[in-house]
Amino acid sequence: MAVVTPTTTGPASVPVPPSAPVAAPTPTPSPPRALRLRTVPGRIRAGAGAAVLAVGLLFALMGVALGHAGDGLRAIGHTAGPQVVATADLYFALSDMDAQVATVLLAGEESGPGRQAALDRYDQRRAQADSAVLQAADLARGDPTGQLTVRAVLDGLGRYERLASRALLLDEQSRHGAGPPSRPALDVYRQATDLMRLDLLPKAYNLTLDSGTVVRHAYADESSAVLAGRFWVALGGALALAVLVALQVFLARRFRRAINPALLAATVVVGVLTIAGVLVLQRVSDDLRTAKEDGFDSVLVLSRARAIGNSLHGDESRYLLDPQRADTYEQVYLDKSQSVLYVPGGNLDKYYAAVDNSVAAFPGKADFLGFYGSEADRITLPGQREALAKVLTLYRQFQHDDRQMRQFATTGKNRDAVRQAMGASFGAYDGALVELTKLHRLAFDAAVAAGDRALGGWNLLLPGAALAAALLILVGVRPRLAEYR
Amino acid sequence: MVALTRRGRLRRITASVLLGAVALLSATACGAGSSILDKDVLVIGVKPDQPGLGMKKAEGEFAGFDVDVAAYIARKLGKNARFVAVPSSEREKALMDGSIDLVVATYSITPERKTKVAFGGPYYVAHQDTLVRARESAVTGVRDLKGRKLCQVTGSNSWRRVKEERKIAVELVEAASYSECMSDLKAGKVDAVSTDDLILAGFATSDLKIVNAPFTDERYGVGIKAGDLDGCEAVNKAITEMYLDGTAKKLLQEWFGKSGLALTFTVPQFEGCG
Repeated sequence: MAVVTPTTTGPASVPVPPSAPVAAPTPTPSPPRALRLRTVPGRIRAGAGAAVLAVGLLFALMGVALGHAGDGLRAIGHTAGPQVVATADLYFALSDMDAQVATVLLAGEESGPGRQAALDRYDQRRAQADSAVLQAADLARGDPTGQLTVRAVLDGLGRYERLASRALLLDEQSRHGAGPPSRPALDVYRQATDLMRLDLLPKAYNLTLDSGTVVRHAYADESSAVLAGRFWVALGGALALAVLVALQVFLARRFRRAINPALLAATVVVGVLTIAGVLVLQRVSDDLRTAKEDGFDSVLVLSRARAIGNSLHGDESRYLLDPQRADTYEQVYLDKSQSVLYVPGGNLDKYYAAVDNSVAAFPGKADFLGFYGSEADRITLPGQREALAKVLTLYRQFQHDDRQMRQFATTGKNRDAVRQAMGASFGAYDGALVELTKLHRLAFDAAVAAGDRALGGWNLLLPGAALAAALLILVGVRPRLAEYR
Repeated sequence: MVALTRRGRLRRITASVLLGAVALLSATACGAGSSILDKDVLVIGVKPDQPGLGMKKAEGEFAGFDVDVAAYIARKLGKNARFVAVPSSEREKALMDGSIDLVVATYSITPERKTKVAFGGPYYVAHQDTLVRARESAVTGVRDLKGRKLCQVTGSNSWRRVKEERKIAVELVEAASYSECMSDLKAGKVDAVSTDDLILAGFATSDLKIVNAPFTDERYGVGIKAGDLDGCEAVNKAITEMYLDGTAKKLLQEWFGKSGLALTFTVPQFEGCG
């Protein structure tokens, strides 16, 4: 700021004839600063120096702001964001492992290929869980509490696999039809599922929530830094332009020339750079918001809905598998259903009826809460409403089949109940949910790609433009200074 | 002279633009709203009349599992805690109007409540269970209560879980409170009391036993003002640490170990703050 003040503040009032030009590099001792600025070349130098400094400041401000934009995109789009989704997959993989074990135990020797398919799926989920644990460990770096949790999950997973294989082995040793397995197999499975449901799944779920927090903080910090940066860039640009215009005016008056083309070019470069910078920062901040709110947030909510929904399906098998604990599994089923799609209903019968009504009323009105309630609150993407409506319709069908299954079970038709529990309605519902998630996933990827594109090239463009502007300034003042040599 | 006034104007403009920038920046910084993390002392609502969970000892002095959990959380957050009794019916209102910062008072997380307040935790998942006389051997689960006398506490919903949700034909006998239920049970006026296992454990004595056949999940959360994401996440972190460092296990055993109740010592699945 000091650059615009000097001429008026000099205490020394040595009268210098305005027409007497003084050679710029005066012989030693050099005159005091105030004196130097009273000479024309001194003023030109000061003006040019101020202009170059202002361009440098603009360059620095823009570099910092673009740096924040890049950090924000990297965190949400390329590192933490995708990792969070991976840890949400951990919950899903774990809960599906347990569901597959329950399926095998429940099926008995009834369906040979179904048993093998469930075992294959178990192996597949275990591999998925392993890689998701690695991602979670990566994300927990620098967070001791998170690291301890990841280690506990890893330990527990080993124990779970041992228990599950033993339960399956015991089950093979005592063949049975569709329905509850032998007592020893059931006892071991109880230990396994308790470990999974009371210990591993909660930890996996909490890890997802934790890493969601990491992303939320990264987003809040970087997006406010980008917006503040946009303001400072505009201010820095305005300052640089003001200095350049002042220099232009000074030279025009002093030397009675119309315009200094090099300085004008520098002014244009600075102007364009400022406008482009403000626009690109605005653009990236919009892309960040879209990626976070339309993409990431929804993907996370829907991943949680899918994970919980899957354990819901497992609770159906467990309900049939373990008649002694059937009451608990039924109540847990209701609880989880209500976290997925909440409508008032103190017991399952009331819940089924309320789901029927609410789903029928959608999309006219969305009078439900839970994960789907928050999804219905934010319809922003084309096709999202239809995709959600499809998910809800299939969810209703799944609940419908659940009711049927429980009716079979309570009237002693065990085989029908097992067939019903293993029916296709859950798969159809889950498939529709995956489609809906994909919609948000695509929006997320598109926003991140758009942000990356907007930032692309700036690492060369910014220093190039700033350097060009500085050179143009020097080129512009050089002939004027030469007149005093 | 011309130059002087022009420069003066420029300086004024620069100054006012800078002032505007500062105002803008500070406005965005304060826009986040208030958080419990900004306070020095946390006012925490607890139960005054629940043995083992929250009991009033003297003015401003409470004891129980909930109270110890709340004190641990406050300590982890680096705050001082001031405990007050909060009636069940006023928990949401007190959080919403800001007269209480946290509620740790057998406060079950439900979707209806989540429309008004947020929940950290749950810090424990309690289960509805059944308490019978110690010499009773025919009751091993809630279904065995068919045809027996069940204590019905006025204002509590626990009996509904048995009679309405499970559709078990019990004979209800009214009582004003759970302590009255306990004396009725000992005196043989009722055959069973059914409610959250931690509440039962608080009353348990040598001539009574919990059958250890849980049939519901009751997630006890830490009530916090809706929108305080930072505060809620800090509470969750504190609860995770409470389980990791063994404090949760120690507290659970200290308050409920003697009851013979099957306790869970691993961290519950959190509700999520956002």
